[in-house]
Parts: sequence; C-alpha cells; structure tokens
Amino acid sequence: MDESVLILDAQHGDLQAFNTLVLAYQDVLFNTALRILNDEDQAADAVQDAFLSAFRALTSYRGGSFRAWLLRTVTNACYDELRRKKRRPTTPLEPETADGEDVESPHWLADTHASPEESLDQAELEHAVQHCLENLPADFRAVVVLADIQGLDYSEVAIAVHKPLGTIKSRLARARSRLRACLQSYRELLPAAFRLEEERSL
Amino acid sequence: MTTPSRRDLEQLSAYLDGQLTQSSQARLEIRIKSDPGLASALEQLRQTRAFLQRTPHRRAPRNFTLTPGMAGIRPPVPRLVPVLSWASAVAMLFFIFTLGAGLVGQLSVGRTASMHAAVPMGSGAGPLAAAPMAPSRGNPATVVPVVAAPAPLAPAATEALATSVPLAASSNPPAANQSVPPTPTLETSIKSAEQATPPAVSWLAQSPAVPKSLKRQVDYWLYIWPGMGVILGASAIAAYGLNKRAFQRKNPPG
Repeated sequence: MDESVLILDAQHGDLQAFNTLVLAYQDVLFNTALRILNDEDQAADAVQDAFLSAFRALTSYRGGSFRAWLLRTVTNACYDELRRKKRRPTTPLEPETADGEDVESPHWLADTHASPEESLDQAELEHAVQHCLENLPADFRAVVVLADIQGLDYSEVAIAVHKPLGTIKSRLARARSRLRACLQSYRELLPAAFRLEEERSL
Repeated sequence: MTTPSRRDLEQLSAYLDGQLTQSSQARLEIRIKSDPGLASALEQLRQTRAFLQRTPHRRAPRNFTLTPGMAGIRPPVPRLVPVLSWASAVAMLFFIFTLGAGLVGQLSVGRTASMHAAVPMGSGAGPLAAAPMAPSRGNPATVVPVVAAPAPLAPAATEALATSVPLAASSNPPAANQSVPPTPTLETSIKSAEQATPPAVSWLAQSPAVPKSLKRQVDYWLYIWPGMGVILGASAIAAYGLNKRAFQRKNPPG
C-alpha cells in the first residue's frame, strides 16, 4: 500500500496502518539506534520508545521524508538513553587481567556457532566501526550514522537531528576525519579485503 | 603538499557527497589537482565513507509493532451511548410522572372518600353513613375500640380525625348523636389517613374505594417498568458487545 495513505490512516488513529509502517522501518531504526548506543537491548528499548512517541506525535508530521521524521524520534530516544547512561554509568561485564586491564574479546562472549570466513570478516569490520563510533561525541556519531551507514542525504539528516544544513556538513566532515584516524589503527587487524582497500588509498 | 585545514575537510566531505555548488565544486577540483595533500585527504575520506557504508546491517531482533494497550487506545464510546442517555432521561421523566400521578391519585381518592364520609354526616341521611351505622346501632360499646384505634396512626391521620370529628359533632343534632355515635366518620377518617401511608400500590390494588381506572393504570406500570429496564439493559449490553467486536476487528491484539 502507498506509504502516504498508510500515514494518513495512522494519523486518524488506525493502529494497523501504523504497524505496517513499523514493520517497514523497524530495521532502519534498530540499526541506527544500535550504532549510536552500541547495545542491542538499549537499542531495542529506544526503538520501541521511538515508535510509541511517533504514533502519539503522528499528527505533527506535515509531510516530507517520513524516514527522516521517524529517525528523528529514534535519535531523540537514543540521546535520552545516552543521558541516562551518563547519569547512571554501568560497569561492563568484561573480565580483567591480573593487571586490572580489560580482556579483549573474552572467550565466554564469543559466538560458539561455527561461522564462515565472511561472517568473521564482517564481525571484525563491525567491531572496528562500532569501537570507533563509540569514541565520537554523540552529536557527531548520530550524523555519521545517519549519513554514511543509513544513507540519508544532508536534508534528511538535518530533519533527523533537527540542525541546520551547515551544522550537518561540519559535523559530518569532522566525524569522518576522526573515524579515518581511528580506523587506520585497525588496519592490521582488519580482514585482508578491507586492509588492501585501505592500503591502496594511502 | 599542504595539510588540509578544517574548512578544507568540510569542503572535501561535502564535495564527496555532491553537496557543493557548481562554482565551489569547480574551484575545489582545481585545488585538488594542484595539491596532492588535498587529493590524499579526499581519497581517505572516500575510503572511510565506503568503509562505513559496508558496515553490516542487522535485522531487528523482534517486531516493534504496537498493541492498542501500548498505544493507549481505548475502545471507542459505543454509538448507542447518547441514545441510552436520552432513554435514561426519558425513563426518569416517566418515573417522576407516574410517581406524581400516583400521589395525585391517592390524594384525590382520599379527598373523595372524606367528602363521601362528611357529606352524609352533614345531612344525616346519606347511604354511606347509614350503612355502617346499622350494625353499631344496637351495640354502642363497639364504638370504643374504633375510637381508640387511631392511636398508632401517622400525624396525617390524627389531623384528619381532629377535623372530621368536630365537623360531624357540630353538624349532627345532639339527640341523634346520642343514639348514633359518630363511628362512620372516624372509620372513614382512619381510612383516609391510611391512604397517605405506604405502600400505596398494595393499598390501591386492594382498596375498594380506588377507582378501577387507577387500579388498571397501576397494574399497567407494574409491567412497563421491568420491561423498560430489561430493554434498556439488553440494548446497552448489545451495544457494548458490538462495539468491542468491531474495535477488536479493527485493532487485532499483538
């Protein structure tokens, strides 16, 4: 069914129409929340909150990119979650060495299923990206996730983070620059395909 | 070869995304061709972007569809609610009307009975007065319990007694009163006082002094009220059930 018709129906309180939109966008929202929060459970909570907020505020949607409008709700939910985490920091469940340093990739967190090489490469890549994203300030992280991972254009990102286009350009450039520096440190650890790509560029 | 400034990086990033104006783009392209540092920075940004774009996309771990409970949607007010509200108002009006009619009927019956009792005593030869007098004529002692009987009556009854007794006494000649005590007047007054005491319906149904039309009316409403109650209740339950089913069809759970 046409998205605009579904939105219109949902604006008139049709929950079934809204749930059709939820099914269409839940992967995008979950991925965005996951990249910003780096925690599956928190990301799921943020997505659920976002859809709930979206349904309640659906009458305020006045056209334009519905994806960007939805991503704005999930970005706000992620910011709320990050603020909450900052107020009540949690201790990670990572074992420490005798020297008190965290053990990287502990065996009890490893995937026990036998995975093909490609999956391993993807996992390494994901780990590297996620680690570098986590080192970015939240505002920069949201912009780069929306633009480069979710593929939104500048105007959609501006809607999603509720900032002017100039701010988006500036934040995206700085975020990419910082990520570049971070990812270069992972070059040796990354799978061959990615490493060669990186080396070719240098 | 120069190290790109922050401004240069912004320009390069926007250039990468095709977000520069044509003139800005042309100027930057000339600089990139002449400056290997800018060209290298552009390539690194391109690779970083490609790197990020290849980040695997995860599927949502579950469906995030909303239930009516989560969305805070309550079943809509049944369409028959306004109708039922009006029906309640009308039923109340009927109730007040019948209650009022019953009271008026009782009062008028009471007055009629009093008048029937008082008028013959005034004339001294009425059929109503004569009939009850006959059995008591030979036995004046029976008057005493009848006169003593009004003691537990309501205030209305005592008032009726107070007004009817002097009337009877003053209107009848003393000679006649000696042989015929004012028993019928007292009995009638007691009856009229009883009319003011509940339960009116049972009294109305049993009293021989109530007109047949009023009795019929009372019997009629005895059937109408429960009937109306049953109809209203059934329609309310039916409306609720129908609306609930329609709501569940429109918003299935889960």
